Amino acid sequence: MSIEAKVEKYKKTLSLFPNPQEKYQYLIEQAKLNEDFPPELRIDDFKVNGCQSQVWLVPEEKEEKLHFKSDSDALIAKGLVTLIASIYSDESAQDIADSEIDLMEEFELGVILSPARRNGAFSMLRMIKEFSKKLAN
Amino acid sequence: MKQVSKIKKDFPIFQRLINGKELTYLDSGATSQKPNIVIDSMSEVYKQNNANVHRGTYVLSSETTTKYEDVRNKFKKFINANSPDEIVFTKGCTEGFNLLANSLCKNLSEGDEILLSEIEHHANIIPWQMASDRYGLIIKYVNVDDNFNLDMNHLESQLTKKTKIVSLVGESNISGMLPDIKTISNLIKNKTEALFILDGAQLVPHREVDVQELGIDFLCVSGHKMLGPTGIGVVWGKKELLENMDPVYGGGDMIEEVYYDKATWAPIPHKFEAGTPPYVEAIGLGAAVDYLSDLTMAEVQKHSDHLRLYAKNSLEKINGLNIIHTDAENAGCTFAMSVDGAHATDISLMLDTYGVAVRAGHHCVQPFHRKLKIDATFRATGYIYNDEKDFDTLANAIEESLKILR
Repeated sequence: MSIEAKVEKYKKTLSLFPNPQEKYQYLIEQAKLNEDFPPELRIDDFKVNGCQSQVWLVPEEKEEKLHFKSDSDALIAKGLVTLIASIYSDESAQDIADSEIDLMEEFELGVILSPARRNGAFSMLRMIKEFSKKLAN
Repeated sequence: MKQVSKIKKDFPIFQRLINGKELTYLDSGATSQKPNIVIDSMSEVYKQNNANVHRGTYVLSSETTTKYEDVRNKFKKFINANSPDEIVFTKGCTEGFNLLANSLCKNLSEGDEILLSEIEHHANIIPWQMASDRYGLIIKYVNVDDNFNLDMNHLESQLTKKTKIVSLVGESNISGMLPDIKTISNLIKNKTEALFILDGAQLVPHREVDVQELGIDFLCVSGHKMLGPTGIGVVWGKKELLENMDPVYGGGDMIEEVYYDKATWAPIPHKFEAGTPPYVEAIGLGAAVDYLSDLTMAEVQKHSDHLRLYAKNSLEKINGLNIIHTDAENAGCTFAMSVDGAHATDISLMLDTYGVAVRAGHHCVQPFHRKLKIDATFRATGYIYNDEKDFDTLANAIEESLKILR
C-alpha cells in the first residue's frame, strides 16, 4: 500500500471517532498492539528530540525498503509514533523522501498534532524524512 | 473574599467551552488568566493614550508616562517597598534573575559561593551557572528533604564567609513549600554578608508579601502569574543596593549623559530599563495589582490555604496517585503528581478531554525531578478563580483517565 493510501486508511479510521477522548483511546489501543520493540534499543541514538515523553524510532533497511520500529514510555505518544511508523514502513527511501503529505493537516488529532514546530509529532516526521533523504541520496 | 462564581465572571476566558465542557483551569502556576480590568486597561492605552513614555512633550506621552510611572507606586504599596524607585520593571521573573546575576556576580571574586536550593526553577539556576562560568564562582544547593521541605540544618551548614548570594524560591512551583524566609534571612545575616534574593514568581500572586518584614534584599516577580499580561515583571531591590549596582543593558532611557567614548547612567530605577519599556504591559500589571488589592491579599491567601487543604484531601483519596507536596502546615495550592504505570503526558492529555487544563513535564525544575527519579509529573495549581468544584472535577477526571490508561 502506498504512503498516500495508508494515510487515507488511517484518516478514515480516525474520523470514526468524533471526540478527542475516543481518538486517544484508539491511539492507546494501537500502542498496546505494538509490543515488539527490543528494550535494548531504547537508547539516546534513537530518541526523538522535542517530545514531552520519551519516544524512540529505529530505522532499518530490508530489501531496499525502509522499516521503522517505534516505542515510547507514554501511551498516546506511542500510539501516534506507531501509526506514523506504519505509514512510512515498507516504503523505499526515495518514496518517503518524495512524499509531501502533511500529516498535521490530514489527521485531526487536536492538541497532539498541532502545527507547532516544537511539536513531538513534527520531530518524529522530521527524523523519518531526514533518514530517508540521506539514504535516497 | 468575593465568591469564586463572581470572580469567574470577571475573567472572560471562563465563558469558553473546552471539548464541549466547562473550562477547569488548573495551570495558573504556569500562567494566570486575565480579568477584564487588565485586558481593558491595556486596550484603553492603545485606544486613548498611546505614545512613547518619558520623551514626549505632548498630552498623549504625558498621560501614558503618568499611567506607567504610577504602576511603580501601586507595586511599591503592594509589596511594602520603601520607594517607587526600588521597583525595576523587567520582562519577567527570568529576566529579573538574569539582571541580578549579571550585575551582582561581576563584583564577586573567584571561589565565592552562591547558595541555591535543590528545588529551584531553572530561572533561578541557569543565570547563576552562566555567571559562575564567567567569574569562577561556586554554586551550592541546599538539600530538600523527603517531605519536600528545605533542610534547614543543611542550609545553615552551607552558609559560610564565602557565601555572597543566597537565592531561594519563595513558594515552590512543585511542592507548594513555603520556606521560612524570616528565619533564613536571620541565619544569613548572622553567618554571612550575603545578599538574599527571593524568587517571588509563585509567592507574590498568592500571599501577602512585605519585603521589609521578610528581611530580603531583592525580590523577583512575574507579572503574568499574578493576573497581569506577559512580558512584564518586577525586580524589587533595596535602594542603596540598586544604586551601587551597574546596569546590565545599555541603550535609550537608561542614560544621563552620552559622549562618543563614555556615558553616565540615569538614577534608579531607570538605569536598569534600557530602551522603550513594555509600558502597556506595565499598565496592565497595575490593573492586576488593583484587582488583587481590591480582593485584598489577606483574603487571596486565605482562599489559597482553604483550597489547598480541600484539594490535598480529595487528591489523597485517589488510589495510586503519588503527590509531591510538602507536609508542612502552610503551603501553596500546588500539587505535582505522578502515577506508577501511567505517563504524566498521557494523563494530562486525557484530562484535557474533560476540559481540565494541567501541565505535564518537569515544570522547569528538571534537576529535582531527576533527584526523585521521576521523568515527568503533571501539576495542578489553584488560584482565585478556582473552587472546590474544580478540584472535584480534577479528581474525577484523573480516576476516569486512569481507567483507560492502566
